Amino acid sequence: MRFVLRRLGFFVVTLWAAVTLNFLIPRLMPGNAAIAMMARYKGHVNPQALHAIQIAFGVNNHQSLVSAYFAYLGNIARGHFGISLTFFPDTVAHQVLQALPWTLALVGVTTVMAFVLGTLIGLVSGWRRGSVVDGALPPLFVITSAFPYFWLALLSIWLFSIKLGWFPESGGYEVTTTVGWNWTFITDAVNHSILPALTIIVTAIGGWILTMRNNMITVLTEDYVRMARAKGLKPWRIMWTYAGRNAILPNLVGFAMSLGFVVGGAILVEFVFNYPGVGWMFLQSVENQDYALMQALFLMITVTVLLAILAADVATAILDPRTRERG
Amino acid sequence: MSLPSVADSVEPVGATVGSGPPEEATKRSAGADLWRAIARNRKALVGLCILLFFVVLAAIPGQIAPDDPRAKIYPRGLGPSVHHLFGTTAYGEDVFSQLVYGTRQSILIAFAVGGLATLIAVLVGVSAGYLGGTTDGVLSLITDVILVIPIFPLIIVIAAYERNAGFLTLVVVLGVLGWSYGARQLRSQTLSLRRRDFLEAARVRGERRSYVIVREILPTMTSLILASFLGAALYAVLFAAGLQFIGLGNPNSQSWGTMLYWAENNEALGAGMPYWAIMPGVCVALLGAAFALLNYAFDEISSPALRLRKLENTGVDTEREAKAAVPARPPDPKNILEVRNLSVAYASEHGPVVAVDDVSFDLGRSEFLGVVGESACGKSTLVYAVARLLGAPLAGEITRGQVLFKGRDMVTLADRELRHIRWRDYSVVMQSAMNALNPVLTVAAQMRDACEAHSTMTRREIEARSKEVLRLVSIDPVHLYSYPHQLSGGMRQRAMIAMALLFTPELIIMDEPTSALDVVGQRSLMVQIKELQERLGFAVIFVTHDMSLVSHFSDRLLVMYAAQVAELGRTRQLFDRPLHPYTQGLLEAFPSIHGAKERLLGIPGSPPDLLHPPSGCRFAPRCPHVMDRCRAEPQRLLEVDGELVRCLLHEQAAASVPAKEGVA
Amino acid sequence: MSEPLLRAEGLTRHFSVGKLLSRQRLHAVDDVNFEIGRGEIVALVGESGSGKSTVARLLARVYKPTAGEITFEGRPVSTLRTRRQRLAYSSDVVMVFQDPYSSLNPAYRVTHPIERGLVLHRREVARRTRRAEVENSLGSVGLVPTGQVAAKFPHELSGGQRQRVGFAAALAAKPKLIVADEPVSMLDVSIRIGILNLMSELREREGVSFLYITHDVAGARYIADRVLVMYAGHLVEEGPTEDVIERPKHPYTQLLLSAVPDPRAPLGVSDAADVGEPPKVIDPKEGCRFRARCPLAIDRCETETPRLRPVGRGRLAACHVAEAD
Repeated sequence: MRFVLRRLGFFVVTLWAAVTLNFLIPRLMPGNAAIAMMARYKGHVNPQALHAIQIAFGVNNHQSLVSAYFAYLGNIARGHFGISLTFFPDTVAHQVLQALPWTLALVGVTTVMAFVLGTLIGLVSGWRRGSVVDGALPPLFVITSAFPYFWLALLSIWLFSIKLGWFPESGGYEVTTTVGWNWTFITDAVNHSILPALTIIVTAIGGWILTMRNNMITVLTEDYVRMARAKGLKPWRIMWTYAGRNAILPNLVGFAMSLGFVVGGAILVEFVFNYPGVGWMFLQSVENQDYALMQALFLMITVTVLLAILAADVATAILDPRTRERG
Repeated sequence: MSLPSVADSVEPVGATVGSGPPEEATKRSAGADLWRAIARNRKALVGLCILLFFVVLAAIPGQIAPDDPRAKIYPRGLGPSVHHLFGTTAYGEDVFSQLVYGTRQSILIAFAVGGLATLIAVLVGVSAGYLGGTTDGVLSLITDVILVIPIFPLIIVIAAYERNAGFLTLVVVLGVLGWSYGARQLRSQTLSLRRRDFLEAARVRGERRSYVIVREILPTMTSLILASFLGAALYAVLFAAGLQFIGLGNPNSQSWGTMLYWAENNEALGAGMPYWAIMPGVCVALLGAAFALLNYAFDEISSPALRLRKLENTGVDTEREAKAAVPARPPDPKNILEVRNLSVAYASEHGPVVAVDDVSFDLGRSEFLGVVGESACGKSTLVYAVARLLGAPLAGEITRGQVLFKGRDMVTLADRELRHIRWRDYSVVMQSAMNALNPVLTVAAQMRDACEAHSTMTRREIEARSKEVLRLVSIDPVHLYSYPHQLSGGMRQRAMIAMALLFTPELIIMDEPTSALDVVGQRSLMVQIKELQERLGFAVIFVTHDMSLVSHFSDRLLVMYAAQVAELGRTRQLFDRPLHPYTQGLLEAFPSIHGAKERLLGIPGSPPDLLHPPSGCRFAPRCPHVMDRCRAEPQRLLEVDGELVRCLLHEQAAASVPAKEGVA
Repeated sequence: MSEPLLRAEGLTRHFSVGKLLSRQRLHAVDDVNFEIGRGEIVALVGESGSGKSTVARLLARVYKPTAGEITFEGRPVSTLRTRRQRLAYSSDVVMVFQDPYSSLNPAYRVTHPIERGLVLHRREVARRTRRAEVENSLGSVGLVPTGQVAAKFPHELSGGQRQRVGFAAALAAKPKLIVADEPVSMLDVSIRIGILNLMSELREREGVSFLYITHDVAGARYIADRVLVMYAGHLVEEGPTEDVIERPKHPYTQLLLSAVPDPRAPLGVSDAADVGEPPKVIDPKEGCRFRARCPLAIDRCETETPRLRPVGRGRLAACHVAEAD
């Protein structure tokens, strides 16, 4: 329990850092990004929202940096992220919440799948060290893990959409379908998400297979595995409970650390496929210089990553009794 | 008491335990070892070749590309042809030339960011690990925060405010954000190095902190630093391409990422110019793969466990026919175990090593046999071979001989049959309980799975039996549901012995179970083991380097030297009249707390290198009674007075033992 | 009565352990007093957790004492301020470590620590002659042929040879006191005697003193003039080696001696009833720390911590029931 609390504390610090970065970066950058943006807003927005944006970007600095900062923090805490330029006059918060389910469905599901599959394959591969399969897999996955996500996306579009016509080329759903919880829509959405999902899985899985395999091999040299063999336990049980459970622990840590990487790649995948998720919206906002939206999405992405890492930490605490005491 | 002279304590280095003859050894340094390791690793070689290929392209693009990449002189949107290997762009430029010229940016970014990120990672990671305290706390917090914040979105945010990010901006931003993973690795490596005495030795002799970090720590972490560099380079190539692809880079620069940007903007895929969109990505992927392969290869090089070595490739005979060729003399029913001509070999880095050479002995039903010897004599390998527990990390294979346990040859038994008798008929106690107990399971769970594997006891019966065996070794049963790390060292060791007694086996093999305990603890554990043995009647094979400890408890002793049996006989007899000069020397190497104080000599020199064992007596270089014949002839076991000894000194008194040895 | 080379008075070292909210103090060494004379070999005997290694590190200035003082050649060590003063101390008091496999930096040849010793502490040796000096020191610890050894890396030498290199590195500074922290515990039995003989010989030839830290009482008897016994952070007994071994006064020393296996001694097995272990001394109360395992404990042992008191000629013991001569 103490362990979880400590991690939560760490996440609060990280979140604070992300928010502060959001605040500081536009002020540190050369150029009048903020002024340009203000010019585009003027006349279209109610004074309250305008004021919030002023605070966020430091235009018309009546205030000192410090008081602007605290005002900014206050706005964030209340969920006032401002008005989106891209989707004017909708609020940023509302737009973000629209995009979120798409990303959770695509990126969330595929990341978990890639991790679970990768870990399982790595487990078996490490266990069957030296087999033909094990000889071929690692180099293959070393190479696939170095593929740029967006390139693989382009390639799969070219191959499966354009050349073979099996899957749709872009979008989250056909424009003609009505959005909602009906069967046509759901099948359509799934159809549209298959290529992006495959792209993410193929690229992300390599790293986790390799680390799990290496962990297994290292764990298999441990005395307690030899002890399990000495006790005459079934190989299955040794592989799972003795080797696997210990080998997965560093992999969970690695999951946390590589998640940022995967999320970055997922953003590009959404972009290439025009998939209406958080990543795609994020890049749209960049292109349109819709900074308010961009900042909010950045925070959203950070929060999601932190939550996923927290989940991995809880899993570690459950699986490893030693962490519970280290606290 | 007269003083020992220099001559007595001289350590001649000729017979050194090392790899290879002395003259070669002088040239070997840590750096050379690394190069050799790289050359032997296929992945590293492939990665290196690809990298070299791109470096050449980056250096002399003019010689290789047919055209100026910016020259918009060709027809637009052509497909691949002889003139244009990958077609032309929508603006009439030659794609192939653009690819070649684009290499330079990627290579430069990779190396620049790699260098910058690694530099910061080294500074932060090593300082945090070495200096500790609040410095470590602050640096680690910063590292962890940067590690966790999603970097790509952050970079996009930064690049969004600074449009058309030039090369320098890219390098700085990527470098300043990409060091956290490496810093973490370096920090934990530094932390584990801190326990190494040579760092403390440097401080004690008065070296400055800065010296210690730069000249003592860093040189030992070269492969980690290199791996960190490669990882950062990979990340730089991919992220830079990604940034340029979404339009945040300078659209006029010559790079693969920008090519992709323009290709995407012109819908190259659908418009019949697929290679314009695909090939730059292939290049990025290839270069990335090169870095990834090298990185992975370094992982393998720096952790020996990951390198697989097969014995078959080294020319050692491992066929089963050879094993069965030992003639079948029926086992004596008095003996619970008969080991005949057992040989074990493993594949080392430099060739096959015979770790156990033609060892034979018998074990009576309730007999306590001590197996003694010093490091690398093969005693542990021997007993693990008997227990059929070879494999990583010992990585040996039985190449010859029989192990007759209760009449059946364990060597030829299949795994499934072996599993039936494991733990029920014989069990094993290992040296370090901390390592031998699974850290994520309670003691109860580990006892339970042994019980469940071999019997149909109910949960309640298993719990009762577990508590019973704990009481047998004087552990309060309340500890049954503890995790191993919650028990003290002595308790853990006794818990292991308790576990070995679950089925009251007929044979327990113990590999130095007392060496982790202090003198008083060792004594009480030994007494307890002996008591249990006398009460429950099992046979014991007890491996140790501490001859004086085991001598109080063993019935017979087997002395091993350089993979062979040097002497085997009844304990008391061996102590009162040791026959082999090695045993004599060993006994005289124990100072005593009783009796007169006398000068002792020990045994100068070292055991022979088992990679190239001498053909004559292996103890000859260190033997005070050596004769010419000793070096020339291979030595056989001789039987003297009911004892076995491998020494020519006793030739006269002996009847040699060819019958027992079988195919000798 | 000449001035001892080194004197430790009230030497204490505590460590903070535990997590942020529940800090505790580990009493590794508490109120230890002893002296080491010139050319003397003193053995510090104790088991793991007794604090003997911490004492070694206090002498070598790896740790600063929490309380108490070390006086070297009449000068308190806490008054050493400048780098030059501290360097001078490092050349007089050196250390040899336990683990031959981690005490030499694997990235350099074995001459490295010897050379550094010369560079730091014997500036008068010119660079040209340094090489010869290094080979000399290898020879003085019996590593021959010196030219060949000088070219080797640590992984090419055996454990015993590496320990000898450790001694050569220690000697490079021409020290007055060598603190040897269990120098033979990780070596093969047949090699140990060679190293012990080397230590004895260095004392004769160079006049250097030793503080020999060990858990092996027999080894202590073999080379030490005096022996100090530690238990759970306290010094419990002190005296000339032969005397202490023949007539131990403290119950712990008695227990320790009875547990030492000796092949030449008859199979007299004492009670195996003692399954105790030395306590982890965290925030201890008053009272003797051995009382839980002591067959002679009385009420007073529970409440009053025994101090070292004379129990014979040159003999000290920290025990309420120990009988004086």
